[in-house]
Amino acid sequence: MTRAFAALAWGLDRFYVACGAVAALLLVVLTGLILASIVSRLIGVYLGGVNAYAGYAMAAGAFFGMPYAFRSGAHIRVTLLLTNLTGWTRWAFELWARAIIAAAAGYMAVYFGRLTYYSYVYGDISQGADATPLWIPQSVMAVGAVCFAIATADSAVRCLVEGRHSLTAPEADGGRDT
Amino acid sequence: MNEGLLIAIFVLSLFAFLGSGVWVGASLLACAWIGMELFTSRPTGDSMAMILWSAQSSWTLTALPMFIWMGEILFRSRLSEVLFQGLTPWLARLPGGLLHVNVAGCAIFAAISGSSAATVATVGKMSIPELRARQYPERMVVGTLAGAGTLGLLIPPSISLIIYGVSVNESIAKLFIAGLLPGACLALMFMAYVALWGLLSKHKSADRVVYTMRERLHGLWLLLPVVLLILGVIGSIYSGVATATEAAVLGVVGSLALSALHGSLSWEAFRDSLLGAVRTSAMIAFILAGSTFLSLAMGFTGIPRALAEGIGGLNLSPLELIAMLTVFYIILGMFLDGISSIVLTMAVIEPLVRQAGFDMVWFGIYLMIVVEMAQITPPIGFNLFVLQGMTGHDMGFISKASVPMFLIMVLAIVGLVWWPDVALILPRNM
Amino acid sequence: ETWDMPMAYAASNYHSENNAAFAAAVTERTGGALEIKTHPGGALVPGGEIFGAVRRGIAPIGERLMSALGNEDPIFEIDAVPFLATSFEEARALYDASKAATEQVLAEKGLKLLYAVPWPPQGLYSTRPIESIADMKGLKFRAYNPATSQLAELMGAIPTSIETAELSQAFATGVAESMISSGSTGYDRKIWEFVDYWYDVQAWLPKNMVIVNQAAWDGLDEATQAIVLEEATKAEDAGWAEAQRLADWYKEQLAANGMTVAPPSPTLKAEFRDLGATMAAEWKDRAGDLGAEVLEAYKAE
Ligand code: NA
Ligand code: NA
Repeated sequence: MTRAFAALAWGLDRFYVACGAVAALLLVVLTGLILASIVSRLIGVYLGGVNAYAGYAMAAGAFFGMPYAFRSGAHIRVTLLLTNLTGWTRWAFELWARAIIAAAAGYMAVYFGRLTYYSYVYGDISQGADATPLWIPQSVMAVGAVCFAIATADSAVRCLVEGRHSLTAPEADGGRDT
Repeated sequence: MNEGLLIAIFVLSLFAFLGSGVWVGASLLACAWIGMELFTSRPTGDSMAMILWSAQSSWTLTALPMFIWMGEILFRSRLSEVLFQGLTPWLARLPGGLLHVNVAGCAIFAAISGSSAATVATVGKMSIPELRARQYPERMVVGTLAGAGTLGLLIPPSISLIIYGVSVNESIAKLFIAGLLPGACLALMFMAYVALWGLLSKHKSADRVVYTMRERLHGLWLLLPVVLLILGVIGSIYSGVATATEAAVLGVVGSLALSALHGSLSWEAFRDSLLGAVRTSAMIAFILAGSTFLSLAMGFTGIPRALAEGIGGLNLSPLELIAMLTVFYIILGMFLDGISSIVLTMAVIEPLVRQAGFDMVWFGIYLMIVVEMAQITPPIGFNLFVLQGMTGHDMGFISKASVPMFLIMVLAIVGLVWWPDVALILPRNM
Repeated sequence: ETWDMPMAYAASNYHSENNAAFAAAVTERTGGALEIKTHPGGALVPGGEIFGAVRRGIAPIGERLMSALGNEDPIFEIDAVPFLATSFEEARALYDASKAATEQVLAEKGLKLLYAVPWPPQGLYSTRPIESIADMKGLKFRAYNPATSQLAELMGAIPTSIETAELSQAFATGVAESMISSGSTGYDRKIWEFVDYWYDVQAWLPKNMVIVNQAAWDGLDEATQAIVLEEATKAEDAGWAEAQRLADWYKEQLAANGMTVAPPSPTLKAEFRDLGATMAAEWKDRAGDLGAEVLEAYKAE
C-alpha cells in the first residue's frame, strides 16, 4: 500500500508540473495572439476574434497555473497564527486551511463544469467577432479548475493521512518541502 | 435585512478565514459564498462561475500576465542588474540612495501600465534583489514599492480612470492629462520621504564612493537598453501602433530581444521566466477570482450602495462630504479592490458630488488616489499580496511597511482639496 | 420579492434613466411586493454577460443591446442591418414587424421580452472629411462584430477591433480613425476631442431590450404581471419619445463642441444605400425563413 501511495504521490507531482507547462504554453499563445492583434492592424488585415481568443487563453492559463503555483508554494496566505502554533493545534489549523481551499477549488470546478455544460446545452455563442461556441474555451478553464481541485484535495488528504509530523513551514504552501 | 448584521458577518468571517491561515483566494471565495447563501436568493455557484469567467477572460486583463512576464525576463537576463549598476553612480550620494529607483521606476512604469499589481510585480522583480544586495532595510524596500506601485492608476494610461470617465460622462483625455501633475507630485512626495529617511537614518549605503564623470557616463550607457525599451513601449501607445493593453506584449518582445542581444537569453532563463510568470499570474488570478466573487456578493447584498445612500442622507457640506467620502472609500477599500468600489457606488455618489459643486475631473483624480490607497490597506490589498508573493514577508510586515506611504497619500488628498488646481490646471489649458 | 436588474450603460444615460423610472413605477405600484433594483454601468453584471445571466436566472431581469446578440440569432441583428430602417418611423415599423419573431426566439431561450428602446440613428464618425466611399480607403474603421467588419471591408477601410473600454484612447492615439455609431456615443465620450466629422448617414437605429427570465416571470402572480406589463408599455413609449427628442439634441451637442456635423453628400448617400442592399441580402441568407418573413412584413408596411 505504501508503495502504491508513493507512486501516486510521485505521479501527482509530475502532473502538477505538467499543468504548469500547459499554463506556460497558454501564456506563449496569449503573447502570440496579442502580437497578432498589433501586426494585423499594422498591415491592414482584420483579425476580429483575436482579442476574444486572447481572453480565453488567459482564463485557461490562469486556472492551469493554479495547481502548479499551489504545489510550488506561490499562493499566499496569512501565516501569523500558524507560525506561532506547534503540534496538534498547528495540524488542526493546517487541515482546516487545506480543507477550505480544497472546498473552494472543488466548488469552482463543479460550477465551471455546470457553466460549460449549460453553455453547451444553450448553444451560447460569444458576442464578439469570434462567434466561438463558449463551451469550448470554458471547458478548458473548467479542466484547469479540476486540476486545481485535485492539487488542493491531494494536499488536504496528505495532511490528514500523514499527520502532524509531515508539516513544514507554513510558507511552503503545498505542505511539503519543494 | 439589517445592514449592520450583514457587514458584521462579512467582516468577521473574512477575518476568521484569513487569520486562521486559509489561502487568501479561498478566504475571499468562502466569505463571498457565505454572503450569497445567507442574504440573497440568487443561484450562488452559477453566479460565481459566470462572473469569474467574465473577469478572467477579459481582454484588458491580458496586460497583467504580459507585464509580469516582462519583469521575469528582465530579472533573469541580468538586465536589471545592469540597470542598477548604471544608476548607482548617479544616485549613490542622494539621501536615500537607490531606494529612489523604486519610486522613479514605478512612476515611469506607470506610464506604460494601467495596473498597479503589474507595476509592483515588474519593478519589484528587478529592484528587490538589487536593493537587498545593497543592504537597504526591507521595510523601506517593500514600503516604497507598495506605495509607488499604485501610481499606475493615476499616471496615464489608466483603465481605472477610463472606467470612472465612462461612468460619469467625463472626458477621458481630460482625466488622463489631469492625472499627470498629481501623479508626479505624489511620486515626488514619496521621494521626499525616502530622502528624509535617508538623512535621518544615516543609512550607510554599501557604496559611498565618489564617482567620476567617466563612471557616470558609463552608467548612462548601461541604462540605455532599458530606457529605450520603456520609451519604445510608451511610443507604441502614443503613436497609435498599439493600444494600451497591447503595448504590454511589446514589453515582452522587447525584453526578450534585449536579453538575446545581451547574450543572456538561454533556454533555461526563458523557461524559468515563463514558469515564474505562470506562478505569479496564477497566484494573482486566484485572489482576483475571490475578490471578483466577493464584489458580486457585496453588489447583490447592496451594502456599498446602502452605505453610500447613508452618506447622502447626512446633508453634509462639500468639505465634510469629501472628508466623509475619504473615510468611506478607505474602509470600502480595505475589503474591495478599487475598481469595484467605484463601480458599485458611483451611481449613488455621482449625484451627491455634482450637487456639492465639485468638478468631476477633479473628483476623478481624488478618487484615483483614494483607490490607490485601497491597494495597500489590509486585509484585501493587491499590492500587499503581490509583495508577499515576491518577498515572502507576511502581510502584517508589508502592511506596516506601507503605512508611511498610506499617510503620504492622505496628505496628497489634503493637498488636492487645498489646491484643486494641481489636477485642473493642465486640463483647463489643453 | 426583489429583482436585481443589471444594465450596461452609465446611470445618466437615457436608457438607464428610463429603466430606473420603470423599476420605480413597478416597485411603487406593487406596493413593494415586487421591488426592482437597477444596477447601471455594468455594476453587478458586465454588459457582455447580462443576456446569459438573465437566461440562467442569475438576474431575473436585465437590459441588453439587441444587435450584440447577432451571433445567438440573426433576428436580434435586424435593427443593425445598415440602411434597412433609417428613421424613427421606419425603426418602429421594423420593430413591429420583427417583434413576434424576436419574442419567439427569446421564448425558445426561456426569456420574455418586456420592451425595447432605440438609440439615436447611427452616424459616421471620421477624423477626415468624407465625400464619397473612396475617401474611406485606408482609414482605420472600428469594427466590433462580423457585420461592422464586413462594412469596413466593403468600404475599403481597415477594420480594427477596439474594445469599448479602449474607445476614447484608440481615437486619441490614432489606433482608430472612424466608426459608425450614434450621436450619443460621441457625446458620452466627448469624442470631439479627437474626431472632427460626424455625418448623419442614419445607418440604422439599434435597440436595447429589457428581458425577463421566464421562470422568474411565472413566479409572479397575475396582478403583478399585469402591472409590470402596463409599466413596460409606458416605459417603451417614453423611451422612444425620449430617444427621438435626444437625437437632435445629441447632434446639436456635437456641433456645439466644434465637430462638423453634416448630412452625407448625395454620392455618399447613394453608395451607402448600395452597400446596405448587399448587406441586407446577406443578412437575409443568414436569417433563413424567419428573417425572410420579417423582411416581407416590414416591406409590406
Ligand atoms: Na498608468
Ligand atoms: Na485594501
